[in-house]
Amino acid sequence: MEKYSILGNDIPRNDARAKATGAAMYTDDMKLPGMLHGALLRSPHPHARIASIDTSRAAKLKGVKAVITGRDLPKVTFSNWRLYPATMDEYALANDRVRFIGDEVAAVAAVDRETAIEALDFIRVDYEPLPAVYDVDAAISQGAPVLHELIPNNISVNRKIEYGDIEKGFAESDYVREDVFTVHAVSHVYLEPCSSLAACDQDGRITLWTSTQTPYIVQCLLASALGMRENDVRVIKPFIGGGFGGKMELRPWEVCAAFLAKKTGFPVKFTLTREDELAFGRRRHPMKLRSKVGFKKDGTLVAKDLHILLDGGGYNSMGPTATYLAGNFGAFLYRYPSYRFLGEHVYTNKPPAGAMRGFGAPQTLFAAETQMNMVAEELGIDPIELRLKNAMVPGDELPGVATISSCGLIESIQEVAKMSDWKRKREEYKKGGGKGIGIGCYSFISGGVFNWFNTQYPFSTAEVRAFEDGTVHLLTMASDIGQGSDTALKMILAEDLGLQMEDIRITSGDTAITPQSDLGSWGSRVTLFAGRAILEASRQIKEKLYGAVSARYNLNVIYDFECKNGRVQAVGKPKYGLSFGEAVSMVQKAGRGEPLVARGSYTPRSKGMVSPAFSFGAQVAEVETDMETGKVQVKKMYTAHDCGTVINHMCVEGQLEGSIQMGLGYTLSEQFIMDGGKTLNTSLLDYKMPHAADMPESDHVCIPTYEPEGPHGAKEAGEGLVIPTAPAIGEAVYHATGYRCKDLPITPEKILKSLGKL
Amino acid sequence: MSIGKFEHFKPRTLGDAVELLNKYGPGARVIAGGTDLMVKMRLRAVSPEVLVSLKNIPDLDTITVDPKQGLTIGATALLADVAAHPGIRKYFPAVAAAANDTANIQVRNMGTVVGNLCNASPSADNAPTLLVMGATVHIIGAKGKRELPLADFFKGPGLTALAPGEIVTAVSVPPPPPNTGVVYLSFSGRGKLDCSTVGVGALITLDAGTCKTVRVAIGACAPTPMRAPGAEKLLTGNAVDETLLRSASRKAAEETKPIDDLRASAAYRLKVVEVITYRVLTEACGIARQ
Repeated sequence: MEKYSILGNDIPRNDARAKATGAAMYTDDMKLPGMLHGALLRSPHPHARIASIDTSRAAKLKGVKAVITGRDLPKVTFSNWRLYPATMDEYALANDRVRFIGDEVAAVAAVDRETAIEALDFIRVDYEPLPAVYDVDAAISQGAPVLHELIPNNISVNRKIEYGDIEKGFAESDYVREDVFTVHAVSHVYLEPCSSLAACDQDGRITLWTSTQTPYIVQCLLASALGMRENDVRVIKPFIGGGFGGKMELRPWEVCAAFLAKKTGFPVKFTLTREDELAFGRRRHPMKLRSKVGFKKDGTLVAKDLHILLDGGGYNSMGPTATYLAGNFGAFLYRYPSYRFLGEHVYTNKPPAGAMRGFGAPQTLFAAETQMNMVAEELGIDPIELRLKNAMVPGDELPGVATISSCGLIESIQEVAKMSDWKRKREEYKKGGGKGIGIGCYSFISGGVFNWFNTQYPFSTAEVRAFEDGTVHLLTMASDIGQGSDTALKMILAEDLGLQMEDIRITSGDTAITPQSDLGSWGSRVTLFAGRAILEASRQIKEKLYGAVSARYNLNVIYDFECKNGRVQAVGKPKYGLSFGEAVSMVQKAGRGEPLVARGSYTPRSKGMVSPAFSFGAQVAEVETDMETGKVQVKKMYTAHDCGTVINHMCVEGQLEGSIQMGLGYTLSEQFIMDGGKTLNTSLLDYKMPHAADMPESDHVCIPTYEPEGPHGAKEAGEGLVIPTAPAIGEAVYHATGYRCKDLPITPEKILKSLGKL
Repeated sequence: MSIGKFEHFKPRTLGDAVELLNKYGPGARVIAGGTDLMVKMRLRAVSPEVLVSLKNIPDLDTITVDPKQGLTIGATALLADVAAHPGIRKYFPAVAAAANDTANIQVRNMGTVVGNLCNASPSADNAPTLLVMGATVHIIGAKGKRELPLADFFKGPGLTALAPGEIVTAVSVPPPPPNTGVVYLSFSGRGKLDCSTVGVGALITLDAGTCKTVRVAIGACAPTPMRAPGAEKLLTGNAVDETLLRSASRKAAEETKPIDDLRASAAYRLKVVEVITYRVLTEACGIARQ
C-alpha cells in the first residue's frame, strides 16, 4: 500500500457545517425578484384518454399568470436512453393519454403557491377512462389493456444474456431447484423533495436551479424538450438533499418551470411535497424473478437460468437500465459456468419505477442470495462454506459481459464470519428463542461503461487552475448530491498535488462554467470517473511545475519530482524545491502571464459491457423475533467489504449506515399499499421508513484491495452496500423462526401465518 | 399542501381564552403544542380562521403529584415533562411510560398529554392508562367549570364530549389503591417510533393472589379507546394464574372491533391484542404483588 497524507483520513465533509447550521441553500430556499410559483395538475385516473382540456377559467383567476397543457409544449418525448429513441416514451405534460394516477396533465404559474394550487381546481379535463392493468402477469397476458400503441404486448424492453451450455449444465447437476421470488416497490425518501427554479434572461436563455443528480443530462434533454440549443440552457445544481437514483432524469416540473419562465418573463419555481413524492414519484422496480440453479453434490455451481419481469409502471423511465443491470448481477458473486438471462420490462398503470440505489441489483441479488441460502440448507453445507466454494476471484471473466479486476469477496466472507462469531451463533441460535443469524453478499459497479445517453463528450472531466498564492481551483460537472463527492474529489486532488483541503476551491455541477461534461451522480461512478479525470488534469499541472523546478535549479534530466507538503521538489533532494505557489509563479512567468490550467477527462474504453471495476462485500445480520407478535428486531449488522482504497473513511461509514437504514426499510417495513393504481400510504406516518432510533448496532471492516482502474486504487462504496441487507436479514429470520421469505417485505403477519399462529 | 390564513391569539388568562373561543365560534380552535392540529391544517383537513393558544396562560402547565391526593397534569404540560417527571415516575410510572411512548422526541417536546386526549385519536397513547386509573377531565367554558370522567370524554375518532367554546384545563388521576399494578404497552409495525397498531393499559389490584379490581383499556382497535368489560369480569374475584390471564386476554381480543387498515389487518390486530394484553396483565400482576 502507498503511504498517503490525505487519503484514508476522516476528513469532515465540505458541506457538513452548512447543513448542520441550516446555512445550506437548497433550490426551494431560493427566491428571485418577481418569482412565480408553479403547480401541477395530475391525472386522477390510472389509464384514460384525454378528450379535451379547458384551462380558460383557471387562466382568468386573479394572480394566475399562465396555464399550460401538453398542447403548448413542443411535441417531444425524452428519456436518458437517447441512443434508442423508441424507448423515449414520456412527454412533460400528457398529450392525449394518461397512464398512471399522477401523470402530469397541466401546469399553472401564479403569484403565490396557494393561488397556483387553487387554479388547478378550475382546469376542466374530460377523461375517457380506459381499462387499466396493475400486475406484470396480467399485463403480458392476451387481451390485456395496451398502454403504448407501439408496444402491443406491454413489454417495452428485453435483454438476453447467455453463455456456457446451460442445458448440459442442468443435465450434469446433482441438485437443481427453481424458485419464484417477488420484490416490491419502495421510495427513495430523499429528504429534499424535488424542486426546480427557472429564470429566463433578456436573450431568451434559461437558467435552471434544480434538485438533480445529473445537471448535464437535464441540460441536454431540457434543450431538446423546448426546442432550444444546448448552450442556451444552463443547469445549476445547488445543495441537494439526496437522490438515490430518483433525480437523474429530466422531469416535467423542470420543463414546465423553464417553459413558464420563458412565457411569463418571470422566474418560476415548482416544489413537490412529500405526499407528491410518495404518491406519484419514482420507485424501486418491483420484480417477479424465476430462478433455476444447478449444483454438484459438493456445492459447486454449474448452471443458472434467470427470468425477470420488471414492473415498470406507465413509462420506461430508467427501466431499460434496471433491466440490463439486473441481468448482469444475476451472474455475479459466484462463478457460473453457464448462465442464461431474460429480462422483460413491462408497462403497468402505476407510477413509473426508476433508478434506485443498487439499480436492479438489490432485487436480483435478494433472489440469488436467498436461493443460495436455501441450497446450502438442502445440501447440508454451511451458507458461508457454500459461498467460499463458488466466490468470484480477481481475473474471473463473464464472457461478453465483464472481467473482474480487484475482488475481495472471499476475504470479505471470511472476515464477516470471524467478526460475527458465525459458527458459534449459527449453532447456538438453533435452540430456539427467536434468535437468528444470516448472511448476504453483494457486488456493484463503479460507474457504467455504456453510453445510452449518447453523450458527445468524455464521461467525466475536470479542470484544475493553479494560482501563485499556492491554491488551486477544481472545476467539474460531477455532482455532490449529499454523498460527499465534492469532499472526496478534493481529497484526491489534494493528495496528488501535496496540498491541504483548504487550499482547494471546488466548483461543481454548473453546466455553463464547469467543463463538458459529466454524466452525473449515479451508478457509483463519481469517485472512479471524476477521480480519474482529476488525476489526468493534475498530472499535466505537475509536469509543468516539475519543469519549472528543474529549470530553476538547472537539474539533470534524470531527476524525478514530487508534490509534497505544499512543495514541489526533487525526490530525495528536497533542497531542490519550491513552494507550490512559487512553482506556479515560475510556470506563469515562463508563459508570460498565461495562467496554469489543465484539463483531464476519463471515458472507460475496452472495459466490457458493464463497468470498469466492481466492489464486493458480505454482511451478516443478527435478529431477534418476537415469536408471539412476529415482530423482527435487527440487533446487529456486521459488514466486511472491498471498496478498494478508502478515500474518506467517515464517508464510507456514512454510506454503510445509510445503506443499512435503507436495507432495513426494504426488508422489514417499507412498502406501498396500493388499491389498483392508487397509492394509499402517502405520508411518512404510513410509509414506514425506519427512524434513527430503529438503527441496529453495526461493525464493519474495509478489506484492503487496490483497484488498478481507480484513482489511487479506489472504487465503488456508495450503492452496493444496500444490497446484502435484505437476504442477510431474510436468512436470519429463517434461522430464527423457520419462515423463509420469498416475497419481500418480511412482515410480522407473514411470520405468524407461516408459524400457524394467524 | 400549504396552510391557509388564520389569526393567532395568545391570551394570558383562561377567561380571555374562553371569551375568544365564544366570540369566534366554530371557526376558532384551541392550540397547545399543535403537533396534531398543525398537521391537520397542512393537509387542509381543518381550516380554522382563529387559533387560541394556551401557551401564554401562566401555570397551565403545572404538574402536581401527591401520593395521597393523586396526580394532576395541566393542559400545557409537555409529554416530555410528564415522561421525565420524577414524582410521576415514582408514583404513577405507567402514566410516565405512556407519555414516553407517544410519538417521537420532537413531538414530545412540543405536544401535551391533554392535547393527546383532546385529539381523540383511537390510538392515543395516553388514553388507556388514564382510563384504567379512573382519570377525570377538568373543563372550563362560558358557563363555568365542570368535571367529566375520562371514560365519558371520547365520542369517536377526533370527537370529544367538549361543548363549543370549552377548554380542557387539566386531567387528574386518583392514587391507585395498595397492591395495585398499572402497566401500558404499545405495539407498532415500525419499531421504536410509530403510531401504535395496538396499545393496552391495565390496572389490577390483588388481594392475596385474587383479583380484587381490574380495568383493561385498549387503544387503536375501536372508534375510541375502549374498555374490555368481559375480560375484566373473567378476572374479578378470581385467583390469578397464567391460564386465567390467557383466557382473559383472549376475551379482551374478542371484545375489540378492529378493522383492516393500512397499519395492520383486523386478524393480526386481534392476535396482537391478545398477546399484548397478556403481557400487560402479567406485568401488572407482578407489580401488584410487590
